[in-house]
Amino acid sequence: MSDFDSAASTPVPSVHRPPKRRRVYDDSEASTPRYSSPDELGDHKPHRSSKLKTRQDLGSRRRSHSSDGSVDELDHTYHGRNRSRSSSIDSHRSSHSSPDAPSPPVYKPLKLNYKQKFILKGHRKGVAQVRFSPDGRWIASCSADSTIKIWDAETGKHMRTLEGHLAGVSTIAWSPDSNTIASGSDDKTIRLWHRATGKPYPAPLLGHHNYVYSLAFSPKGNMLVSGSYDEAVFLWDLRARRLMRSLPAHSDPVGGVDFIRDGTLVCSCSTDGLTRVWDTATGQCLRTLVHEDNAPVTTVRFSPNGRYILAFTLDSCIRLWDYVSGTCKKTYQGHVNNKYSLGGAFGVGGTEGFIVSGSEDGDLVFWDVKTKDMVQKVSGHEGVVLWVDTSPSVSGKVVSGGLDGTVRIWVDVNEDVNGVKAEPVDADATEDEPMEEARAEIGEERNTPREASVVRELGRNQELEPSPEPMDED
Amino acid sequence: MNLSLTDPFVLAQDYPESTTGSLRSGHATCVRFNRKGDFLAAGRVDGTVVIFDVETNGVARKLKGHTRQVQSLSWSRDGRYLLTASQDWKCNIWDLDGGRIVRSVRFEAPVYIAELHPWNHLMFVVSLFEDQPLLVDASGPKVIKSNLPSAPKRNKYDEDEPISDKQAAQDAKQTTTVAVFTASGEHILSGTNKGWLNIIEVSTRTTIYSTKICTGVVIFLRLTGSGRDVVVNAQDRIIRTIQLPNLSAADLDPDTIDIEIEHKFQDVVNKLSWNHVAFSSTGEYVTASTYNNHDIYIWERNHGSLVKILEGPKEEHGIVEWHPHRPLIAACGLESGRIHIWSIMPSQRWSALAPDFVEVEENVEYIEHEDEFDIHPQEEIHKRRLDLEDEEVDVLTVEPVKGEIVDEEGISAFRMPVQLDLIDSESEEEFVAVGRGEMRRKSPSGQGVDYGLGEDGVGGSDVEGKKKVKSRRR
Repeated sequence: MSDFDSAASTPVPSVHRPPKRRRVYDDSEASTPRYSSPDELGDHKPHRSSKLKTRQDLGSRRRSHSSDGSVDELDHTYHGRNRSRSSSIDSHRSSHSSPDAPSPPVYKPLKLNYKQKFILKGHRKGVAQVRFSPDGRWIASCSADSTIKIWDAETGKHMRTLEGHLAGVSTIAWSPDSNTIASGSDDKTIRLWHRATGKPYPAPLLGHHNYVYSLAFSPKGNMLVSGSYDEAVFLWDLRARRLMRSLPAHSDPVGGVDFIRDGTLVCSCSTDGLTRVWDTATGQCLRTLVHEDNAPVTTVRFSPNGRYILAFTLDSCIRLWDYVSGTCKKTYQGHVNNKYSLGGAFGVGGTEGFIVSGSEDGDLVFWDVKTKDMVQKVSGHEGVVLWVDTSPSVSGKVVSGGLDGTVRIWVDVNEDVNGVKAEPVDADATEDEPMEEARAEIGEERNTPREASVVRELGRNQELEPSPEPMDED
Repeated sequence: MNLSLTDPFVLAQDYPESTTGSLRSGHATCVRFNRKGDFLAAGRVDGTVVIFDVETNGVARKLKGHTRQVQSLSWSRDGRYLLTASQDWKCNIWDLDGGRIVRSVRFEAPVYIAELHPWNHLMFVVSLFEDQPLLVDASGPKVIKSNLPSAPKRNKYDEDEPISDKQAAQDAKQTTTVAVFTASGEHILSGTNKGWLNIIEVSTRTTIYSTKICTGVVIFLRLTGSGRDVVVNAQDRIIRTIQLPNLSAADLDPDTIDIEIEHKFQDVVNKLSWNHVAFSSTGEYVTASTYNNHDIYIWERNHGSLVKILEGPKEEHGIVEWHPHRPLIAACGLESGRIHIWSIMPSQRWSALAPDFVEVEENVEYIEHEDEFDIHPQEEIHKRRLDLEDEEVDVLTVEPVKGEIVDEEGISAFRMPVQLDLIDSESEEEFVAVGRGEMRRKSPSGQGVDYGLGEDGVGGSDVEGKKKVKSRRR
């Protein structure tokens, strides 16, 4: 299969490229008018090292997975017709971004300067999701190695490993009281775990016919919503571990689910390109959001105040929807997302809201919610950053998990200027302690579990990626 | 927050239409919603009190402490405490945080009805069988019970001369059958077996006003949420609504109080008598269950007309309760002990499933827009789209939602802990889970029913997965 075919005729996820970097700087890429530079600037060399220039190269890196410079011409023609579900719809705008390139965005109240603080090692395969507990004290991470690990958010200390799933764990969720973790796995089960003891509750939730891919607790903690590869969305009564309601949700694997702040609505999204909003009480669909391009939606999240839905799509866009009017209010671009179902979160920097997401090129990308400007882009992970979460506590911490099997904690150094001095990223120094912990852990769990089948890779073809990358150590 | 998406026609409907389900846990004899409306307490024949989660229709908690049938239930304002009165001559105050009894008070006679003080969860009023009603203050280490008068207050000119012997003899025979606090908690309304309505001042424990409202026994009194209206169920088969004067007014002169009956509801044709009455959430409607009949009647108070006779399961209903802010009625079946629910089940609007379709009343000749089929270059469209996204968005500010109950100051929002280990404490349930959402009536043999989930060995190691699940299909 040639690049040619795959880029042009099949939906994105099937592209048969090695997932790892094939950085191509074609000049037709600059796509985000507000902050992209003339492409000539962007395409000469990677500007990785220089923070200032990250914006310029982001545009040009965008499409690196799906196409080559050489097919770019063809790409144009094909996309004209075959635009649905194409990832690079925005890649054809080459000219009009140049004028505003020299002038930086005028208004920029939000300043972020996130630096890596801890690297938490221990997972032996890609980390699919990382989540802060609602009280901000813990971080849970789940991995294709079929374990869930709990870490202390403050010190990065490894607290516990939860074992019991028979296949990779794609999703985790914290109960609102931070005492219970729910996990969804490729073994089709959902398990509940005591945070404190690390023990599972006796009865797992059975019912899904395929990989469980996304979970969310209701704000009261009495219900759980799950999305699965079997295209269904289930609502569970947690006290009775009973399937309460099955929502005839989608015609493709369900990528993400979320509960609204007051628990009255549930949203779900799917690779069929639809995001649906459901009434929790009646189980009826109240609204469907669909973008013209129909790009596969892999993750959805309600905004903290519940007025908007953030949808991550496989066309390297994150869209903010007003679900009441059914219109897309903002599109955030600048990261790479063509293949994996990445996740991100809302955060608060000062008084302004930001959005953070992972990127397939190993970066964490931060946007100002209001201006759509990319305010920071920071690299660290070796390989795809699958999930990013923000701490609910005032610390403003961010945690990320990636295909390289690491979990990384980031702190905003900006805020620490007048307070505690955060040490600049010194990976070796900072990772030492947690690493030791984690290594000890690995010693115990030598017997390898089964291969995980899906690591947050949401494609319409369920073709397995060749194991993405060997982990750097172990 | 689902209101903005809900069909306005559904929202305009403010009383229930049809049965939508039933709850069961043992044989329930009385029910009561908490003020927020997320829990329904049910008292059973065996003395157990069951708290149902209205969202999941599952059991949230079981309170075991009474040995005889539960007679009445009363929630504290914040929903944390529950007062239960039982035929074992006891009243218990439960703390739902841990499910323990905070206070247990024993009386010398069976308790008809016990009602909590609206602001003090350790003070309540009880009406006893053939005895004086008591005001119980359990705030201190020692429970203080004080007698309340049952005898009506005679008119002023009567007081000058000694009350005639006949009257005195009559007054001595008066017993209070029902007593409730007013909204402020400063007064108690009580009804007697001779048809008198008394207003008792709590601080002095004296009757400040009395009026004879009917000839028979006053069976039941219930105030609206606002506390401005009272509904009276009496033996004479007439339901009366009364508007209360403002008893907390500073210049209140008890002699000027004038209580007038606003409406009298009755079934003149069938001469039905009423088992129990309740106000709707706003007080606009009154509902009643019928004696020796299956129907639930609903009247509206504006004109005083009958609006609906709810038909449902073929059995007589005892206590009927209206949800505090939804058009939902719960009633206890006398024979089966089931709690039947009437509410509105909106139909799925199919246009919600496909955003590009609208439901039209009749056929419309479609007029094509001038530019509808113009072909624009992709990049043009994309740029235009992005440029349109100039609206201000606010993802952080939480706006008060209409219909949401905002907790008043001073009342910290109480959230009942979710018990995930209830499952095992259940044995007497009649339904068991047999897989995904499938329930089946427990076979008489009980154990040994094989309902394995299938051949594929999902979660094969979890024998616990076969545990009984204690809820029922809706």
